[in-house]
Amino acid sequence: MSEQPVLSVRDLEVEFDTFGGKVRAVRGVSYDVHAGETLAVVGESGCGKSVTVQALMGLIPTPPGRIVGGSARLMGRELIGLNQAQLNDVRGADMGMIFQDPMTSLNPTMRVGDQIAETLVVHRDISRDAALAEAVRLLERTRIPEAAQRARQYPFEFSGGMLQRVMISMSLACTPKLLIADEPTTALDVTIQDQVLELMQEIQREDHMAIVLITHDLGVVARMADRVAVMYAGEVVEYGSVDDIFYRSAHPYTEGLKEAMPDMHQHGKDRLEAIPGSPPDLFSPPPGCAYHPRCPHAMRICNRIGPSEYPVGDAHHASCWRLHEDAPTTASEDGHAG
Amino acid sequence: MGAYIARRLLSGVITIWFIATATFFGMHAVPGDPLLNDKAVTPEIRANLERAYGLDKPVPQQYLIFLKNMLQGDFGISFTQQNRRVNDIIAEHFPVSATLGVLALLFAAGGGIMFGALTALFRSRMPDYLIMFLVIIAVSVPSFVFAGLGQLAILRLNSLLGFSLLPVAGWGTVAHMLVPALVLGLGTMAYLTRLMRSSMLEVAETDYIRTARAKGLTPRRIFFRHQLRNAILPVVTVLGPAIAAITTGGFVVELVFAIPGLGRYFVQAVQQLDYTVIMGTTVFYGAFLVLMVIAVDIVYGFIDPRIQVSKSLS
Amino acid sequence: MVSYIPTAEDFQALDSAREGDRIDRPSLSYWQDVWRRLRSNRRALASLSIVVGLLLFTLMGPLLWRVDPALQDLEQVSQPPSLGRYALVVADNTPAPTVTHTAISSAAVDREQAARNLRLLGTPHSEGVNLAWDPLPGVDAYQLYRHEYPPRDADDLGLPMARLMPQEISYRDLLGLETRQYYYSIVGVYNGKEARAYTTLPVVVEQAILFSEAEYRGLLSGDATPETAVGSSIRLESHPLGTDYLGRDMLARLMWGARTSLFIGICAPLIFVIIGLAYGGLAGYSGGRLDGAMMRFADFVIALPFLLFMILFKIAFGLGPGESGIGPMLLALVLLSWPATARLVRGQVLQIREEAYIAAARMMGATAPYLVLRHILPNVMGVLLVSLTFAIPTAIFTEAFLSFIGMGVVPPTPSWGSMCNDGIRTMLSHPHELMFPALFISVTVLAFNLLGDGLRDAMDARMRSGT
Repeated sequence: MSEQPVLSVRDLEVEFDTFGGKVRAVRGVSYDVHAGETLAVVGESGCGKSVTVQALMGLIPTPPGRIVGGSARLMGRELIGLNQAQLNDVRGADMGMIFQDPMTSLNPTMRVGDQIAETLVVHRDISRDAALAEAVRLLERTRIPEAAQRARQYPFEFSGGMLQRVMISMSLACTPKLLIADEPTTALDVTIQDQVLELMQEIQREDHMAIVLITHDLGVVARMADRVAVMYAGEVVEYGSVDDIFYRSAHPYTEGLKEAMPDMHQHGKDRLEAIPGSPPDLFSPPPGCAYHPRCPHAMRICNRIGPSEYPVGDAHHASCWRLHEDAPTTASEDGHAG
Repeated sequence: MGAYIARRLLSGVITIWFIATATFFGMHAVPGDPLLNDKAVTPEIRANLERAYGLDKPVPQQYLIFLKNMLQGDFGISFTQQNRRVNDIIAEHFPVSATLGVLALLFAAGGGIMFGALTALFRSRMPDYLIMFLVIIAVSVPSFVFAGLGQLAILRLNSLLGFSLLPVAGWGTVAHMLVPALVLGLGTMAYLTRLMRSSMLEVAETDYIRTARAKGLTPRRIFFRHQLRNAILPVVTVLGPAIAAITTGGFVVELVFAIPGLGRYFVQAVQQLDYTVIMGTTVFYGAFLVLMVIAVDIVYGFIDPRIQVSKSLS
Repeated sequence: MVSYIPTAEDFQALDSAREGDRIDRPSLSYWQDVWRRLRSNRRALASLSIVVGLLLFTLMGPLLWRVDPALQDLEQVSQPPSLGRYALVVADNTPAPTVTHTAISSAAVDREQAARNLRLLGTPHSEGVNLAWDPLPGVDAYQLYRHEYPPRDADDLGLPMARLMPQEISYRDLLGLETRQYYYSIVGVYNGKEARAYTTLPVVVEQAILFSEAEYRGLLSGDATPETAVGSSIRLESHPLGTDYLGRDMLARLMWGARTSLFIGICAPLIFVIIGLAYGGLAGYSGGRLDGAMMRFADFVIALPFLLFMILFKIAFGLGPGESGIGPMLLALVLLSWPATARLVRGQVLQIREEAYIAAARMMGATAPYLVLRHILPNVMGVLLVSLTFAIPTAIFTEAFLSFIGMGVVPPTPSWGSMCNDGIRTMLSHPHELMFPALFISVTVLAFNLLGDGLRDAMDARMRSGT
């Protein structure tokens, strides 16, 4: 992991001006992704995981959105603050993105092949015919049968799973270094999900590409991720390897997420534990640690001052007061101990 | 596609029948004597006239005769101009209205799409505010005021130039058509501009525009190839009703600019209670509008790939 | 955060002070929220005040401005807006001062010579302009012209007023005099042909009123006699927005016209929205074949060419003597307009019917009337209100349109549309007669359109974000 990361996000902050006031959607997020590695970003909806990647893709609608601070480097090149033309050089070429709902993410009135070829025409010095031929090859690569015919069809003639393959072909057109997948399987049937994930893994192995996978499904995380960033209320509350997160998690929110996951409770529990309460209102986040109103271990300091990042292990850290050196031992489940 | 067109045409025929029936019974409910204006001075002449127009028969029979004639495309003979067939009147005056209407529609659709796209492109900036301000004026001012202002503008322009650039009223050359067509198309243009604007803004927020941006396409390419193309589709669907609005709006413009169109003739016929002309014109206009709406829907089917294929599948 | 060194006490468990049920923002009902959003929309708010202002104008106006809208003030025809005009009282039956002389017959006829000394006799006023001029030698006759602009050449002298015998060298003009500037020109006629030479006199005509007329209208003090009053200046009735081509007060006509236009514009949509609600609600709620049949019928009605049938129905419902034509127009408008609302409501009801909360309410034993009143109706209300707001300008336009082509209200009844119809004929010379009613129509339509926009945005935002 000593080589330069493909993507390095540091202290990114994004705000939205809305009717009801200013929303701080992303509050100082940092993470790294290396080549051939998958970083999973997990969290409940509205925790800012999608906004973070949209910010670095330059997809935040401005106004009302605004990147307030921080940096995001792709292969060492700063993305924040690039102008439109510079950004367009990078988008689609060095980083590709696939979205949650393939049904709405493709232009309904344009042939699929044209939509893939378009990326190539824009980024490479290539004729339309050559681009179309390349598009068919890309569709074949994502195992779309009869690719040549399919390329001439419109999106509504495809099933959801097939469309997500089309989206993947499209984002891979220029063999990007980084693929951002924003809940790529959420809108798909469970059986199709598996095929799409497998396809992504296969392509990652072949192209040695870095993937940022945004999901709220810990099953997908367990299957795909090398590293995990757990986000809550616009902050990364825990960051570590997939094993760290699943076996040595240090943040109560990560614990809560795992409790709430159906196939994680193999230890004889017969009911799922939902996290009580609901995610904070980002118009007025609670003072101190954003999680304290829902935290079973909340301490007096938690509702006054936000915790810093505490290292837990090698490249594993979490933001929780229980990790402070003076805090009572975290191993016990007794949060009430003085 | 063929089955779809056949189905649409069948429902169109039923609709036209409904229009014809409503027209027939509507006209028969009109109080007053259709022969009052005539020289039906003696009972004999009156009886003769009633026989000639079929008014001596019971109403249900009159209705059947009326339907039969309509089916054959025969609208009868004018009450006030005894030797003119309604068909001839329509054949003479409708082409004038249609020419004016087509020109107005071109203005309206072209202008609407262009201005709508411009407002979306310059959203929340000067051109957007300016165009939307003009749109609000255009939808709030009645068409006859625009017609009057149009005439006034021609007069001022001519006196400013010192010669007659455009005729103030009348019909015949392209110069006669320009200002009336513009006035006629103005309201529809404003409506289409609004529609196009909201359609553009809606498309701008779709996932596939986000995808296009994520692909690194230039804003220009996104605008023309993705946004504009998809935003025009809803505008096409309202062209049917737009044609209806323009056709009937033609009444006023024809009156003010003294254009010998069917609309002006219809207003005259109503004032003179010319039964056959009123019925014939109403049914004709109704049928025309029904067919135009069907035509627009079919054209739309060719433009929007989604509809094309789903139809060929069914 | 980093600088803070926590104490042991900080790590005590946070006890019952946990705010689990904290309410972050005040809870607002649907309509409260819509109102809050509408209020923050300045355009919508301005439109709302315009609408209220218009209603006050038409309901309260005639109580304050007690002028009969049908009264014809023939002294003041097509007057531009003014707060009050003064008029010179002139005696009835003043004889025209005539100047005659014997014709000068001359051998040396100078056709290039224009008549000299074209002059006024007495004050020129709207009850008569008296002109006289010096005789020209050798003329067969004089031709007098009146123009509204300075003549450019001998072919542009304006309206031919009179051809006069050579011995008559004066003329009294009484023809439709308005208080404005005129240009009188006199030309000699030789052997039946007019000379090219002319003399022009600009004349500013003053407002005047006959003594008998002033007395009849009660403009004079009680003890006034022709001897005392003639020659004095009195104040005429004021017409703040001017008068129309029959001398009727524009302000009064606009107020009463607003009653017609707003009555039709508001009542017709109100009635057809209610009919549409009942029809569409029934169709949507019952579903199945009844729904299919009802909607098919609505589709037919929608397919009727609107304005043609408006005209047709309007004449079909007829006019009894003394009727204004408002009733038939209202009926025709309602008969043709309900299906759009019915369609809208049906679509909404079909959608709402499938919602989970309806199923939940059903499961808990809710009866059909309860479901309709408690769940369906309140959810339809929003779109209904928006469509009502947009239907009003359409109805106002329809009334104006029909009145404009002469198919609307019957003449003595004023309406904005019929006023426009009157005004467009005199548009070139007296633009105010078209401008005022047109302005009222436009501002009203604009206000309702903007109000509808604001209402729709307020409700849309509510539906979309929930924030």
